[in-house]
Amino acid sequence: MSADQHFIAPEVVIEFLSAMMPFDELDDATLHEVARHIRVDFFPKGTRLLTAGETELTHLFLIQKGGVKSFITDDEGEITLKDFRGEGAYVGALPIIRGTRANLDVETVEDTFCFLLPREGFLELIQEQPGFAQYYLKSFSEKIVNTAYTELRHHKMIRRGDEELYLFTIEVGDIIKQELRKIASSATIQEAARAMTRYRIGSLFIHEENDPDAIIGIITDRDLRAQVVAAGLDYKEPVSRIMTGLVAKILSRATCFDALLKMMTTGVHHLAVERKGHIVGVVTSHDIMLLQGTSPFSLFKEIGKQSRIEGLYPLSQKIPDIIRNLIKEGAKAGNIARMISLLNDQILERLLTLLEEELGPPPVDYCWLLLGSEGRREQTFKTDQDNAIIYADPANEQQEQIAREYFTIFARKAIDHLVNCGYPLCPGEIMATNPKWCQPVSVWKKYFASWIAAPAPQELLHATIFFDFRAEFGKVALADDLRKYLGELSGRQEIYLLHMARECMASRAPLSFFKNFIVAKNGEHRNKLDIKTQGLTPFVNFARVLALKYGVRETNTLSRLQVLSEEGHISEELWASAREAYEMQMQLRLIHQLAQIEEGVLPDNHIAPDQLSDLEKRMLKESFEVIERLQGVLKILFPVG
Amino acid sequence: MLLAGLCPGLRTRHPALLKNRVLFKDFNQSRLLTDYTFVVCDTELTGLNRRRDEIISIGAVRIVNLQIELSQSFHCYIKPKNIDPNAATFVHRITPEQLLDAPPLEEVLPAFLDFCGDALLVGHFISIDMYFLNKAARRVLGGMMSNPSIDTMRLAKGYKEAQCIDHFGGCDQSASYNLDLLSEEFNLPRFKPHDALEDALQTAYLFLFLVKKLKHGGIKTLKELYLAGRIFGLMGRG
Repeated sequence: MSADQHFIAPEVVIEFLSAMMPFDELDDATLHEVARHIRVDFFPKGTRLLTAGETELTHLFLIQKGGVKSFITDDEGEITLKDFRGEGAYVGALPIIRGTRANLDVETVEDTFCFLLPREGFLELIQEQPGFAQYYLKSFSEKIVNTAYTELRHHKMIRRGDEELYLFTIEVGDIIKQELRKIASSATIQEAARAMTRYRIGSLFIHEENDPDAIIGIITDRDLRAQVVAAGLDYKEPVSRIMTGLVAKILSRATCFDALLKMMTTGVHHLAVERKGHIVGVVTSHDIMLLQGTSPFSLFKEIGKQSRIEGLYPLSQKIPDIIRNLIKEGAKAGNIARMISLLNDQILERLLTLLEEELGPPPVDYCWLLLGSEGRREQTFKTDQDNAIIYADPANEQQEQIAREYFTIFARKAIDHLVNCGYPLCPGEIMATNPKWCQPVSVWKKYFASWIAAPAPQELLHATIFFDFRAEFGKVALADDLRKYLGELSGRQEIYLLHMARECMASRAPLSFFKNFIVAKNGEHRNKLDIKTQGLTPFVNFARVLALKYGVRETNTLSRLQVLSEEGHISEELWASAREAYEMQMQLRLIHQLAQIEEGVLPDNHIAPDQLSDLEKRMLKESFEVIERLQGVLKILFPVG
Repeated sequence: MLLAGLCPGLRTRHPALLKNRVLFKDFNQSRLLTDYTFVVCDTELTGLNRRRDEIISIGAVRIVNLQIELSQSFHCYIKPKNIDPNAATFVHRITPEQLLDAPPLEEVLPAFLDFCGDALLVGHFISIDMYFLNKAARRVLGGMMSNPSIDTMRLAKGYKEAQCIDHFGGCDQSASYNLDLLSEEFNLPRFKPHDALEDALQTAYLFLFLVKKLKHGGIKTLKELYLAGRIFGLMGRG
């Protein structure tokens, strides 16, 4: 028998490689030669393949089946997901080519089989196959740029923190948008104007005729308008005639806040940025304004400063812009949702404060309640109003009458203003303007007691909104009292919880996610996945049932889960998986809605699975698996029959 | 080799067999799994009749450092002694012509033993393969193979039982342990069934999967693997 028979690479490897870029360009002989050197390894889900800065690569990984995620862990342990790679993708090419250790952390997210191509063999291909080098270099240059950008951004995010102001942390040198443009002082006004037009800039530095480094002045668009055109000055005059001789300077290391102060105190709009004695660029008041405009904190403060309710209308419209920036900076969905509620709360708080001033103090204590997603601090862009008023039990009939009148007017005005701020009315009329939902404490207690005692579908629907109430404004003790009462009630009412748990378990996760999405089969949302009802709601429901069962007072889903884990009701591992899965879905929804807003479409929850990236699909699939696990927990806690 | 070929049933042992015996004289179970070589093999037979049927192909791949070495595979057709071109047992996409052109067992088996070296044999329901291999070895080599063997079917049973107990405390006894169905259940890359080499590869993937998933990756030595599932089939000396 021939010795060859020992060395036949299985067909499957050849098939795999020949379908994969850039291996598809190899001739048959080379392909077989490559295949001969390949080994197969298996890495169970959750196996760390590479650790940044540590792992020395002995081979390139080619993913035959399964998938990996790559991420960066910073000094503080914060993890930033970078990329996902699935079947047919490679891992480790960059470090091999550069001869460095792994540049990313890589971990399998599924049971994964990899073909391992030895490092030497891979380098040989890079050197001998022109297509190879080209392919990897191209994908790297894109990847490296992205990576560098993300790392930079990540760094900045950490420095800034959530509540700090961009103005205080970003250095002037960091926002210089264009290189320094200058012209000799002997140049004519027209030459200067031409230069400004060519470079599309609004200001130009003037240097000494014989020393380009000696900046002696600046001209701006405004100088051209006021001193040349309006004054009828000859364009052939030297530019030094109209320049502002004293250039206001600022060190490149100074913060943008310093720059803003300098502009405000000197009345100039252009500052020359100086680094090591040289002028390196210019910052304008416009640059600083842009910076300010994207700051959640500055909006937050601006809201707080409003003295007229109408002044809040335009400010609330700025929230999507703020959120867009946060998403683009890579903030996590949980933080984004909290930021949205923070800003919405601030609007509401200012609005109600001003309204109280307008109408006079309330006859009895009250508390403005937020319900549903607002109550859970989980709003996205599309935030229907879900609110209610609870007020202290009046002492007598007369006080009752006065309170009712006051809060009726108060609620009507508040809701009108909120609509003007861009918060749509609740289609189900669950708002403080509905007399049913503007009631004293004793009535609210009766409501909850009756819902819990007589669980019918309608009652359950109420529950999902009302059980997540949160005190937003006014006398918080009233809401606390109600929460405490509720805790006592539902602890005794297992049957009620059982119904809620059933409701949770009834929702089926789309299991065969890749091949056969469970999507709407017809109508406007045909072939789309409802990320809210199919994805997020099961998490919310699960957290709510367990929170009620164990008397957890939090309303936010992630906070509820965290407390449940801390108190040992769910495992730490389940909490970690659930958090990751839930945040992932929230993120998907936010990005989906942001894209709709940018297209001018009303945001919804219907995601087209075929438009998701590999990463998103895979992560979604994982997150649906977590739902099944949550339902498994419910099955144990609330056994059927 | 000549000797063995000419005299079936002889008392003298073939040199390949003697070498094979020496390799396993002091077999040590306590080493790390990554230190052993495994040969995952599959045989195709003319049928399952223990007396009458014969091996018509052997496919095998080698696992070193718990990685499948694709450069090290073995695939041979074998010319059977009694060939019946009309036999209904030819499900393996092997034509009678291929078999007529193939070398006889007397040539293939020593080469296979050589390929196996000091490796442990791994197979799915390997007792069948071992029965026919040893039957052949007795006939053409004058004795049986000494390589210990591991059955992936038993490993799979151990794995699935452990999984069931983790979740529910009971186990579905009716589950199938067919290689194809297991590969599907564990979501392994798939190979063409009924080809000895591809089946061996499929089994090798299953083996890697099970070894690394059993006890959540906690199995490090051969002995631990043995204790985890009591998975050894024939221990060489039949």
